[in-house]
Amino acid sequence: MRTHLLRKIPSALLVLLVASVLIFSMLRLVPGDAAVTLAGPDASPESVEAIRRQLGLDQPLPAQYLTWISDLGRGDLGPSYTVGGQVADLISDGLGATVELTLGALFFTVVLGLLVGVSGAASTRRPVQAAVRAFTTGALVVPPFVTGVVLVLVFAVGLGILPSGGRVGLLEAPDLALQYLLLPAFCLALPSAAVLGRYLKDGLERALAEDCVRTAAAAGVSPRRLLWRHALPGALPPVVTLLGMQTGQLLGGAVLVESIFAWPGLGQLAEQALLKRDYPVVQDLLLLLVTVFVLVQLLTDLLYVLLDPRVRWE
Amino acid sequence: MSSSAPRSSGPLSRRAALRTIGTGALLVGAGGALTGCRSAVSANSDSEAKASGAPRRGGTLTLATSLDFTPAFLFTQTALSSQNRLIYNTLIRYDDRLEPQPELATSWEYASDGRSITLRLRDDVTYHDGRAFTADDVIFAVQNLQKPERSAQLAATARAVTGFEKRGDHELVLKLAHPVSNLFDLFEFMIIADRHTVAEALEGTKLNGTGPFRFVRWQPGTGLSLARNDRYWIADRPYLDKVEFRVYTQSDALLAALRSGQAQLTYQVPGRSLATFKDDGNFTVKEYDTGLGALYIGATVTESPTDSKPFRQAIAWAVDRERIVARALGGYGLPSAAPWPKSSPAFTEADRTHYTHDPAKARELLRSSGFSTKETLPLAHSTIGLHVVVAEMVQYDLKQIGIRTQLQPTEPVAFQKMLISGKMPALWVNTHAFAQVQPATLAVSAPPFNEAANTSHFRSAAYTEAVQAAWRAPAEGRQARALYRRVSDVLLDEAFVIELAVQNSVQVTSAKLHGPTLNKFNYLNLDNAHLD
Repeated sequence: MRTHLLRKIPSALLVLLVASVLIFSMLRLVPGDAAVTLAGPDASPESVEAIRRQLGLDQPLPAQYLTWISDLGRGDLGPSYTVGGQVADLISDGLGATVELTLGALFFTVVLGLLVGVSGAASTRRPVQAAVRAFTTGALVVPPFVTGVVLVLVFAVGLGILPSGGRVGLLEAPDLALQYLLLPAFCLALPSAAVLGRYLKDGLERALAEDCVRTAAAAGVSPRRLLWRHALPGALPPVVTLLGMQTGQLLGGAVLVESIFAWPGLGQLAEQALLKRDYPVVQDLLLLLVTVFVLVQLLTDLLYVLLDPRVRWE
Repeated sequence: MSSSAPRSSGPLSRRAALRTIGTGALLVGAGGALTGCRSAVSANSDSEAKASGAPRRGGTLTLATSLDFTPAFLFTQTALSSQNRLIYNTLIRYDDRLEPQPELATSWEYASDGRSITLRLRDDVTYHDGRAFTADDVIFAVQNLQKPERSAQLAATARAVTGFEKRGDHELVLKLAHPVSNLFDLFEFMIIADRHTVAEALEGTKLNGTGPFRFVRWQPGTGLSLARNDRYWIADRPYLDKVEFRVYTQSDALLAALRSGQAQLTYQVPGRSLATFKDDGNFTVKEYDTGLGALYIGATVTESPTDSKPFRQAIAWAVDRERIVARALGGYGLPSAAPWPKSSPAFTEADRTHYTHDPAKARELLRSSGFSTKETLPLAHSTIGLHVVVAEMVQYDLKQIGIRTQLQPTEPVAFQKMLISGKMPALWVNTHAFAQVQPATLAVSAPPFNEAANTSHFRSAAYTEAVQAAWRAPAEGRQARALYRRVSDVLLDEAFVIELAVQNSVQVTSAKLHGPTLNKFNYLNLDNAHLD
């Protein structure tokens, strides 16, 4: 196992190195730079040059790259050029907000998914089936942007019971924080809940059709017990796998929802930083993503080693 | 697919339905319980009304903005400058007639030769951290703006200050390289920041000023929080306890925040959405005809065919400015061939209508310029929504007189880089500012007009002479007006900057908010603002 890990680490490091070079160079290929942004709309070339010098952007690109990598190696993410503050703080704040939103959305995904899946599988009534179909199709087809605007119009503008946007930290004021979280989390959850619900409905229907369940039904087991005790446990494992995949999608899909609900997560941060050519923020964010991906790959490899002896023998 | 499944439509479905309802009720109940604790809506809205005509003390004003505060722009005038006059003060404030009124400077006196000015300063002002405001802070403020890395538009005016003579803590003489007609523009523009904490201010961690509100915190992407300065030098002001800037990058979200009462003030409602607010009794829409921004077509005069004056004048006659104001600005602007807003001392109705929509005249001028109708000219613009719309309108108008153009949409930062480096194509559409104050400021501070180095690469001895004379002359009087006339004449005749419309700043407020005002640089003033 240790040998396997040692064999994998150099390739992982190589991937990170190549990724860092690519991220650094591709960002520099985008027209305009942070100095232009910082200089403001009416800047003179002298101002831009002075700011460029101040930021070290007048140095040759290899020197800038080495400075970035060596600072990173020391755990120093440095200051942001244009967004403001330290990059480490910006990323940790944004990450906290995005994780909070994702967890909220995950809650709604599970609740709605279970509701839709179970009621769709348990009832043959046409209105129930039609409602389940309408939800699963509608939630998948309507883009989150439209859903978001409709939710804001109904609950914030029309009924005036929930805030239209913004965020209060969970630790700061939990009661207010949850109210701010409700709409964006619900909006983000809808497509995932539809997928989950449809998947669960199919799984339950398959489980209910199995011989053992039918035998139990013939022996007089109540339909309710059949569903919850016999069918659901059989249908759940693949749903849990799907939920894992959906969590990844929720994290990625948060960008647009963050924008609609003024939710200050990583998506918003990435968008702002890219628009302002804030190289340190964009570089560190992208490299963080690659690192997470590489770590997940490493963990997956290790799990295979643990689970499959043949891999160990190789 | 599983028709043989032992499903029942009887008791199970009823139970399922009941469970569904029960779960739903549970969720709603949970929501109700949450809202029962404390409502995020009422905590933020202006619903705690009080029926009284007198200003009420207290309350939180939330300003909805599409652009986040950027500390790096603290000394640069941008669309993000609203917070400047809340945290800081300036030396003077202009009234509606461009007359300077005292703020941190109580009085001023020019030397007879116009080469120095003596300022007397308030002696009862302290920074938020308790330190007393003195003449050294003014010296620092001027020297700070002289640095190129601050990228202040009024740097040229700041650099005309060549020396300082302190006469105690609250009297100061500024020595000038030459008489400067726009010195008071600098005094209204220049925030008096704490000289000991400028580095922290530029990082957005500590903004220490003398203004009515203290900096509490700034969360990138979320907004800025300010709290009342209890030691403000104007007695019993401000009325408000807190000011929150909240960022809504999507315009629909920003409008929803206003409509739902989450925010009470904004300046960023698009023109086409303003009509609904104007007709709604819950909101007040106010226009500031300060002309902070103006739409224009720029022409590069060093390449054919835009090097031809008749060709540029043909473009000036071809564009339908009335339509641009009506459609692109929702009517909130002034169609104008000259850069000056109505409040400017350089404004004349004749200049405003010097070029009107006259396609026949445009075609005639085009023929005289010898322009080949087979040529297609590049027309650059940034991808900002308003600029896209205006560029498309310009393209249509030019097509009507036989000028074919190809739109070059460019991402804002890349567009800004092209502007700064002077690498614009033959034609471009953009906005400029700095016509709203003393006319000389436009020609020494706004890059499209700068006599020494402008974006069009236009150089002329007559223009340089007119601009320099206007800059070095007294700001008022018959002589000043004659000099402004000369600057306007060159601008209109040469048409290297073809003005389209002077934009107005439009303020949308909840009807319960009273008293917010803007200065000439769009700094928000809430000294007297209050919520019902």
